[in-house]
Amino acid sequence: MPDVVVDVWLYGVLAAHGGEARQGSYANVKVSLPDGSTMADLLKTLKMRTEERSITFINGQLSAMPGLQPDLGHILLDGDRVGFFDPRSMWPFQYRHGATMTDEMARAMDVEKDHGLHHTYTKK
Amino acid sequence: MWILRLNMTDRTYRLEDVPAAYKNLGGRGMTSTLVRDEVPPLCHPLGPNNKLVFAPGLVTGTAASTSARISVGGKSPLTGGIKEANAGSSWAQYLAALQIKAMIVEGQPKEKGKYWMVHLTWDAGTGKPKVEFSPADEYTGKDLYEVFPKVYERFGTGVAIAGCGVAGEYGYANSGIVFNDLGKRPSRYAGRGGLGSVLASKKLKFIVADRKGAPEVSIVDKALFDQGKKKLDDAIRSHDVTKPKGALNTYGTAVLINMMNEAGGLPTRNFASGRFEGAAKIAGESIFEGNKTRLGKDLYNHACSPGCIIQCSNTWYKPDGKEHTSCVEYESDWALGANCGIDSLDDIAEMVHLCNAYGLDTIEAGTTLAVAMEAGVLPFGDSKKAIELVHEMGKGTAMGRILGGGTELAGKAFGVPRIPTVKGQSMPAYEPRAVKGIGITYATTTMGADHTAGYTIAPEILSVGGKADPLSPEGKASLSRAFQATTAFIDSSGHCLFIAFPILDIASGFEGMVEECNGVLGTKWTSDDVVKIGAEILRKERAFNEAAGFTKAHDRVPEFMKYEPLPPHNQVFDVPDSALDSVFGEM
Repeated sequence: MPDVVVDVWLYGVLAAHGGEARQGSYANVKVSLPDGSTMADLLKTLKMRTEERSITFINGQLSAMPGLQPDLGHILLDGDRVGFFDPRSMWPFQYRHGATMTDEMARAMDVEKDHGLHHTYTKK
Repeated sequence: MWILRLNMTDRTYRLEDVPAAYKNLGGRGMTSTLVRDEVPPLCHPLGPNNKLVFAPGLVTGTAASTSARISVGGKSPLTGGIKEANAGSSWAQYLAALQIKAMIVEGQPKEKGKYWMVHLTWDAGTGKPKVEFSPADEYTGKDLYEVFPKVYERFGTGVAIAGCGVAGEYGYANSGIVFNDLGKRPSRYAGRGGLGSVLASKKLKFIVADRKGAPEVSIVDKALFDQGKKKLDDAIRSHDVTKPKGALNTYGTAVLINMMNEAGGLPTRNFASGRFEGAAKIAGESIFEGNKTRLGKDLYNHACSPGCIIQCSNTWYKPDGKEHTSCVEYESDWALGANCGIDSLDDIAEMVHLCNAYGLDTIEAGTTLAVAMEAGVLPFGDSKKAIELVHEMGKGTAMGRILGGGTELAGKAFGVPRIPTVKGQSMPAYEPRAVKGIGITYATTTMGADHTAGYTIAPEILSVGGKADPLSPEGKASLSRAFQATTAFIDSSGHCLFIAFPILDIASGFEGMVEECNGVLGTKWTSDDVVKIGAEILRKERAFNEAAGFTKAHDRVPEFMKYEPLPPHNQVFDVPDSALDSVFGEM
C-alpha cells in the first residue's frame, strides 16, 4: 500500500511527541502513513491520546476543539499539514468567526448550542 | 464623586458635581458621552478645542477582580473620529479612590514649548481631591524608563503615573497615553489612536496620583456586590483560558501566534500572506520555553495591575537572565515580528521596549514599519534596521516623523497601495480575509480597525442564538452589532475585556458582572440592559463620527483585500457592503 506523508506541527507540551525533531516549544515532523489513514491513525503513530490534544487544524481548517473532536475519522491525504495545540491554548470565538473549518467540524458546530458560539467546548 | 476639570489655558481646576445624567456612567460610557457632549466634532485634534477625558470604570477601585481599567477618550489625531483607548493600571484605582468619576483636560497654554505636570492628592481637611500644577520641562525629550524613576523619587513610591512620551511631544498620530505597571515600568498603554499627542498638545506631561488618605469607593449594596464578585471570580478561576496556569497565565496573549498561523490568518509581511514561516519561533510557547532556558525555571505571567486574577502579562529575559522587557503581547509580537518578516524574539522585545520608552503604540509602529518595508525603505526581516527606525521615531528625525504619523500617512508618503487601515487606524493581528467576522467589526467599529471592539459574550442575552445562520454575511453582521454593544458595556464596567472569555461560557460569571455593577450603583440592570446600555454608547460614538464627517464609505476594509487573494486559503474579503451597512443601519 503506498504511503502518504503528512506535515505535522506539534505545539507547546505536545512537542514532546516530536522526538528528536523537537525545537523547544514546537516540533515539525513528517509522518508517513499507509494510504487511507485517518486522524486516529496519525494520533496512534505519534503515540498521542486524543484527549492530550486541544485545538487541531488540517490544512489550516479547524478540525477539532477540546470536547469537540469530529475529525478522528478524517482521511489524511499526501501533503496535508496538521497542527496540534496543547490544552493551554485558546482561539476565542470572535477571532475565528468565519475562519475555515473542515466539513465535519462545520457540521459539528452547527448542531452545538447556539451554533457553537462559545470559546471552549470542554464536556464536563 | 466629582468631575474634575483641568484647564490648561490658565492652569486652574474645578470640581463639579456629577450631573444626574452621568451618574451611572463609567469607563468608556463616561468618556464617549463627555466627548460627544463637549468636543466640537470638527475641531483639530491637537488644537485648543479638543478635550481629553479620563474615567475609571464603574467597579474600578472596589475589590472587584481584574477591574483596574482606565478609559481615555478624545478626538483622535489618527482617525479624525472619536477615540476610546483603555489600559490596566493602579492609576485607574487611584483616580476612583480620589472620588473622581471623570477628569477632563481642556484648553491649551498660549506659551509654546513649556510643559506642566499635575499632582493629584486627597485633602483630608476639605474631604476633596486637591490639584497642584508644577513645571515638567525637566522630564521632556527623554526616554520614559529614564524619567519614571525620577518622578517616583520626587513624589514617593506609592504614587501612580499617567503621561505621554516623546511621541506625544512630537505630535505623532501614533502616540499612546502611558501608565505605570505593578513593577513601576512605563509599560501600560492606552495605546491606540494618538491620544498621547492630545495630552502633549495641552502641554501636560504627567498626571501623578496619590490615594493616601482617600476613602474607599462607595458601594450601595455590599451584599449584592459580594455575591456578584464571587460568581465572577469563580468563573475566571475555573475557565480554561483565564484560570491560573491556563492559556493566558502560561503563554500570554502571544499564545495566538501559532494558532492564527495554523489558521492561515496571521498577517505576514504587510498583509501579503496569512502564514509566517518563522511564527513558531516568536510564539507564546516559545516565550515560555525561552524564559525557561534562560532562567532555569518555569515562569508564569504576572498581573498588569492590582487585583487581576487572570495575570496574562509576560516578561522576556535576555540570555544572561536579566530582564529585557515587559510585556510582549500578541499584537506587539505580531506587528513587530510576523508582519515585518522578523523572527527574532530578542529584536522584537527590543522594539517593544523602545515603543514603551518613546510612547508609541506597538501595533501602529509595526504596521508602519511593514509599509516602509513594502516600499523598499528597508528589507522585510531586517530587524536591526527596523530597530534603528524606531529610534528615529524617538529622535524625531524627518524619517521618524513620517513613520510616527502612522501607517496610512507613511503608506501615502511612500506610495504603497497596500495600506491595511480602516478610518486611518491600522489593523491588528487577525486577517479579515481569513476571519471574516472580525473583518466586519474592523470595518464598522467607531474606533478604526480595532480587535478589542467586538468580544463575544453570552448568546442567550444577545437574542441572536438560534436565529440567523452565524456564518451568513447577515448573521455575521448581526453578531458583530451585538458583540460591539456588549463590549462597550464591559469597557464601561472597568473590567478587563478578558473577563469576556469566562462569562461567555459560564452564565453565572456574566450574572456576577452585572450584579457587581448593580451593587456599586444601586441599579437593577438586567442582561437586556447590558445590550441597551452598550448600544447607547455606540450610538453616541456614531453620532460624533457622523458629525466629524464619517459616512458609510468609511465603514469599509481597504480595497486590496477585495482583489488580492490571501495565501494559504486564497480568499478575498467578500462580505457585501450591504451587510456592513446593516451592522449599524438596524440599530
